[in-house]
Amino acid sequence: MRTKLHTVAAAGAAALLLASCGSGESGGGESAASGALTGEGSGESCTIEGEVPLGAVLSLTGAAASYGESQQRGLELAAAELAEQGGVTYDLTIEDDQTDPRQAITLFDEFVNDGVSLIIGPTLSNAAVQADPIAQDAGVPVLGISNTAAGVTEIGDYIFRDSLTEQAVIPQTIAQATEQFGLENVVVMYSNDDAFTESGYEAFAAALEEEGVEISETITFSKSDTDFRALLTQAQESDPDALVVSALIEAAVPLVTQARELGIDVPIIGGNGFNNPTLMADAGEAAEGVVVGAAWNSSSDNPENQAFLEAYEAEYGAQPDQFAAQAYTGLKLVDQAVRANCSAERDSIQEALGQIEDVPTVLGEFSIDENRDADHPAVVQVVENGEFTVLE
Amino acid sequence: MLDQYATTLTFIALGAIFAYSFYAVLIAGQLSLGQAGFASLAAFSGAYLAPADVADVPALLIAVAIGMSVGALGAVVLGLPTMHLRGVFLAIATLGFAEAVRVVLLNQEWTGGAQGLGVPRVLTVGMAWTALALVAYWFWRMGRSRYGRALEAIREDELAARSMGIDVGRHRLAAFITAGAVAGLYGVLYAYYVRLIAPNDFDFVAAVEGLVTAVVGGSTMFLGPLLGSGFQTIVPEIQRAVGVEAGWIRPFLASLLLLVVILFLPGGLASLIPRRTRMPSGDGDDSAAGLAGRRHPAAGEPVVTLAGLSKEYGGVHAVRGVDLEIRAGEVVGLIGPNGAGKTTLVNMVSGLVPPSSGSATVLGTTIGSTPVHRIAAAGVSRTFQHSKLFNRLSALENVLVGAHLVSRPTFLRRLLWLPSARRDERAALRQAARCLERVGLSELAGSRAEALSYGDQRRLEIARALASDPSLLILDEPAAGMNHVEAARLSELIRSLARDGLTILFIEHNVGMVLQTCTRVVVLNFGEVIASGAPDEVAADPAVIEAYLGSADDDAGESPLAGDARSGATAAGAGDAPPDAVANVRPGAAGTLDTPDTSRDAT
Repeated sequence: MRTKLHTVAAAGAAALLLASCGSGESGGGESAASGALTGEGSGESCTIEGEVPLGAVLSLTGAAASYGESQQRGLELAAAELAEQGGVTYDLTIEDDQTDPRQAITLFDEFVNDGVSLIIGPTLSNAAVQADPIAQDAGVPVLGISNTAAGVTEIGDYIFRDSLTEQAVIPQTIAQATEQFGLENVVVMYSNDDAFTESGYEAFAAALEEEGVEISETITFSKSDTDFRALLTQAQESDPDALVVSALIEAAVPLVTQARELGIDVPIIGGNGFNNPTLMADAGEAAEGVVVGAAWNSSSDNPENQAFLEAYEAEYGAQPDQFAAQAYTGLKLVDQAVRANCSAERDSIQEALGQIEDVPTVLGEFSIDENRDADHPAVVQVVENGEFTVLE
Repeated sequence: MLDQYATTLTFIALGAIFAYSFYAVLIAGQLSLGQAGFASLAAFSGAYLAPADVADVPALLIAVAIGMSVGALGAVVLGLPTMHLRGVFLAIATLGFAEAVRVVLLNQEWTGGAQGLGVPRVLTVGMAWTALALVAYWFWRMGRSRYGRALEAIREDELAARSMGIDVGRHRLAAFITAGAVAGLYGVLYAYYVRLIAPNDFDFVAAVEGLVTAVVGGSTMFLGPLLGSGFQTIVPEIQRAVGVEAGWIRPFLASLLLLVVILFLPGGLASLIPRRTRMPSGDGDDSAAGLAGRRHPAAGEPVVTLAGLSKEYGGVHAVRGVDLEIRAGEVVGLIGPNGAGKTTLVNMVSGLVPPSSGSATVLGTTIGSTPVHRIAAAGVSRTFQHSKLFNRLSALENVLVGAHLVSRPTFLRRLLWLPSARRDERAALRQAARCLERVGLSELAGSRAEALSYGDQRRLEIARALASDPSLLILDEPAAGMNHVEAARLSELIRSLARDGLTILFIEHNVGMVLQTCTRVVVLNFGEVIASGAPDEVAADPAVIEAYLGSADDDAGESPLAGDARSGATAAGAGDAPPDAVANVRPGAAGTLDTPDTSRDAT
């Protein structure tokens, strides 16, 4: 009797295991819902009956929280607008990876298992390198909205991004600055303990070499440093035509302020980390003359951008930054891709994303290139009267 | 079904392995934050050096081997200069090491700097849990081995552990190396799971997280790190499942929960698991089998030889020019007023305090630069004036630690489940049980030492000292705080030990007990020996009486020395007290029992 019971139990367990394997293979119940994920019509007229599940992995707490919060606002603004538009309803779940790669990996896994049609994020490039392969392996498209490091989209054909890489923005910045200020020799400063600023530095060094500008000195610091006076005095000695700095905003503000205090009045050329309204808010006068290459021209007068600025201001009572703009654009692009084939199936979105071309967006005319990277005009800005204006 | 939780389960296993690297040293009472540095070194060297032209799993295994060796090697390099540091100083030194590793790796070309090093994902949830099971098994089998008990003893009271013959330096270094190897294992497994490692993944925050995981889980029980990691990993998952909105609320709730756990479960989550105390089974009374034998000096051979021994503390002469010889089989009582230098003298004899001048030989070992555990190994065992028990260990475990010197190392054999290890452990248990029985504590074997009454704690200390089968037993005020019935029983115990051939040196304020227990009494005053001889002679010595009462004019008959001698003898009801000791007592006072502690007040 006893052995019999055991056999039954074992068989039951085996059946359970088989059943669970079965459902695992079908992609976490995606097939069950798939009937509702395709609809009729195309473009504006596309109507999909079911809710389209989307996941977003953002760093809402931890070291990168300031970026994540902007992104969350951008996504929520876009989601609200899309909900008004109707036809396709999105069920957007925004999750926090706590700026911890382990959380990002766990969240990607969960989203993949929950059967989302696409994952937006994660905020940081290193988390993208760690987590994106999970989506790639499962065949879930990913749209990065702030990953600027090289190699992220090389992970696979399901990985896209709408954020221009540093390698795309920085050469334009350097070329334009060289022309404008007649740069001959510069001092480069960067924090060498951060993946983002280090890759920014590499792009700067390559671009400066391209333009034939001499680097008279390279000075490194830590991203947690706040006192740069000694380093700046050292930089001052080689009498550079400009300071080229790759740093996060936390270091950028004191660095710029202290440089001006020490009487360094040459242009300061910053990486994407400088591209933040906080710079003017916190550094004030000292920020004048800072040159920043950016993926988003905040003062662009294209209608999409004007509408975005107005809506954002109305909703949050603050100026958006580039992270919000790229996040907002990201969700709009996803909508575009869903409507293109009027299907929110993973493969269908993947195919449609790859074909996005010359779409008018907040970021300008936007295309996805053959490497699944963003392709749109970058802008070189200079701080004038407390505002980013286009350097011309 | 399991698939869905694979990631979470893998991170639980990885977190637990990292926490074990903290557990490995916490169990020996060391607070180290260097594990992040070991993990980092191991992860980078393992991932970088593993051959690319072999299959995934062999590559992982090779990387693990490299990583664990690098971690262990790092621990040796860091451990040798820092092992003498304690508590927060060790934490700061090891933290400095971890930070140095991070900065160096950040500035190396081959590590990819801040952007990190790409690693293929090879680790599966099954492999992670296999590794965790091996690590947990290691610590499980360590728990009840001689080595494991020695580590716990060091954590509870380092000085007492030394006196039990445990080489504290070596044990602490061994624990540290284990931590290094386990941290190395974690580093490599982590690298082969997350695909990209950067030096910043092993920063201060990571180190603190590992420490918190180990402490929340419980650092005194081998399942602790696993419970801690489960807790730390699952809390965010549950919050997500329950639908707490993403953002600051979640880390806030998680921290709050952590606080609650630490406040209400100071021993960690593992303290919820009842701790069993294994009692020796009654079978098999082949007493000495499995215990290392010890050669005791024959009766009459010198055990302790002191010549001109002195100790100064910055101008204060605690002990001056003491010449003393104790021969095997003697029971020597050391008495004298408070501050006479008695404890300093026995501390020198047991090797805890080096003499300022003079020479001393104890059981053939020269006192001075010989470490305490060597002197213990020579056959000296002692108790302390203020009980130095291993408070969180059970009474039985305390005595088992005492048997450290006479039992054989069992850890490695326990890993392999060799029957001989079981035999040796049984032998040690029997030895411990015998010692507990001898002091009458068999009933309380399973109680924590800190939960025992004061008198029981004193007796437990004696049992622990006896467990090492010493040639010389030093008791520092064993009867302090005992009532006269207990003191009498103690006196009887000491005499029975002496009958077994043990040489005993003891300090006691209960002079009566000393007079009727000892074969010889040595009186110390202001660091000098003022009298030495048979108990009755000493009790009648005017110099001794003066030292105790401050005046030679007093009637010797009123001497508390004599009074106590009588009361002790009466209470013990023993006929073998020297009859002369009570000869000068006024008959009218006979039959009243003074409390044994009156002599204390008299000083």
